[in-house]
Amino acid sequence: MDLGLIVYALNLGAIYALMAVGISILWSSVGIINMSHGATFAVSGYAAWLVTGAVKPLVAATFGKTVLASTLMAGTLVASALITGALCGVIIYLLAFLPIHDKPNFQVRALIITLGLNIASVQGLLWMFGPRNRGLPKIFGFGRWEVWGTKIRFDQAGTIVGAAVIMGLTLAWLRYSRRGLEVRAMMQNAEGAAYSGISRQVTALPVLMLTGALAGMAAALLSQTIFVSPTAGVIPLVKGLTIALLGGLGSVPGALIGALLVGFLEAIVGAIPYLGQRYVLFATFLFIIAVLIIRPRGIGGLLDDTRE
Amino acid sequence: MSELLEISKLSAGYGPLRVLHEIDLTVRAGERLGLVGLNGHGKTTLIRALTHMTGWQQGSIKFEGDEIGGSRSLGAGRRTPALVKRGIGVAPQGDAIFPGLSVRKHLECGAYTRSAWRERRDRIDGVFDIFPPLRPLEHALVGKLSGGERRMVSIGRMLMTEAKLYLIDEPSLGLAPKISASVMEALWALPVTGAMIIAEQNVSLLTGRTDRMIGLHAGRLRGDVGHVELA
Repeated sequence: MDLGLIVYALNLGAIYALMAVGISILWSSVGIINMSHGATFAVSGYAAWLVTGAVKPLVAATFGKTVLASTLMAGTLVASALITGALCGVIIYLLAFLPIHDKPNFQVRALIITLGLNIASVQGLLWMFGPRNRGLPKIFGFGRWEVWGTKIRFDQAGTIVGAAVIMGLTLAWLRYSRRGLEVRAMMQNAEGAAYSGISRQVTALPVLMLTGALAGMAAALLSQTIFVSPTAGVIPLVKGLTIALLGGLGSVPGALIGALLVGFLEAIVGAIPYLGQRYVLFATFLFIIAVLIIRPRGIGGLLDDTRE
Repeated sequence: MSELLEISKLSAGYGPLRVLHEIDLTVRAGERLGLVGLNGHGKTTLIRALTHMTGWQQGSIKFEGDEIGGSRSLGAGRRTPALVKRGIGVAPQGDAIFPGLSVRKHLECGAYTRSAWRERRDRIDGVFDIFPPLRPLEHALVGKLSGGERRMVSIGRMLMTEAKLYLIDEPSLGLAPKISASVMEALWALPVTGAMIIAEQNVSLLTGRTDRMIGLHAGRLRGDVGHVELA
């Protein structure tokens, strides 16, 4: 295995981790399987495209082609994607959580509403922007580094580092802040959380905003490698959902490990002669199905030696 | 003593099942009330109805004069956090612990009021004084503890704030007699000022320790049992 393959695998794993961890946290704490995570992804990508398109001439006129200008563009792109993702979280809270969270079969209803939101927003994006792909400004530049004879593209390195930073911040927030403690309590025992004065109505909003922002970050980072299109969210959604399952829904470390495993698996299968890219999806799902047959609790079940 | 809790015509259940049948009960401030009865006769449902955790309920519950009951057929648990913050501390049946959190984090979860959160270090120390076996387990995951230690964590979480009414559901359930006796001793020694309702099957554990004992049979109160002396 050469270095280029490892970087490619980490690149895939980083994007998958952002999607899967968000889906996993949301499912286990609030109880929504968020089918509109893909829509959040695509809408954030388009918002970043709109905002950077509007800001670009302004920045170019003020700062020219300096380092400051490109840093400013990078900041604008990431910030607009993050904020839009969080706003999508608010919309999901208002439509798919608040009106139905105390009704029977909440989880099935939420699944259907978010699925509807996903379809509607993909159609909305098609209607507003057309099916053409949009390229976002390359915030990491076009260059590559030579490390031990392998070329590493800036966008790959930037994606891995950016995803690692945002994941680290999320985990630190869950671990050390009071709100994070409440979210973890809710993930582990909803009844105990209620008896500890933790309200699901109140806590669901920051959780939805956080997971939406994670999807926005994934969109901003993936836009450095591929284009943004109305259906861009479908594959990340499917991969995110299945990896969250692979990790054992509700286990953040499980989702992280699952994302890296699938990233490496896809990179390796894609690099094997006679298999190649067309067998990547096939191999991924075969792997996930095999793991779930052997370990129904997923990877998280292996890490967890506590009992209810 | 003033009346802290006034329950009248309280019925509750789950779906088509009616567990409680028009219960009337009054609890005075600072009173320790034992709730005894067999399995499946409504002790837990009564405690859950007080915090809106049942499937449905109807009837009046007055807490410090304010109505916290009412008719409800949906939204189990929706009002629970607000009621807990209002001053009802609960140690539920089965403990409802968070298996992946440490004992300290667990107790921090219980410190939901602003003042309790500020003083959480001292309060956790206080809980460790009440339950000394927990002190060396401070950073252990609760999911790895024994049944008795979990019970202590669950009761400790309830004690992290000063509630006016403590609801403790079967503190001896599933514990070895020796351990349940020590948990009960810790309960009696609590320096709390609030009223306490303890649901328990083992009448002898409550005898002589509660101000009043009430029997619950088939979802109806069976009046004051008095102090039953068992051999």
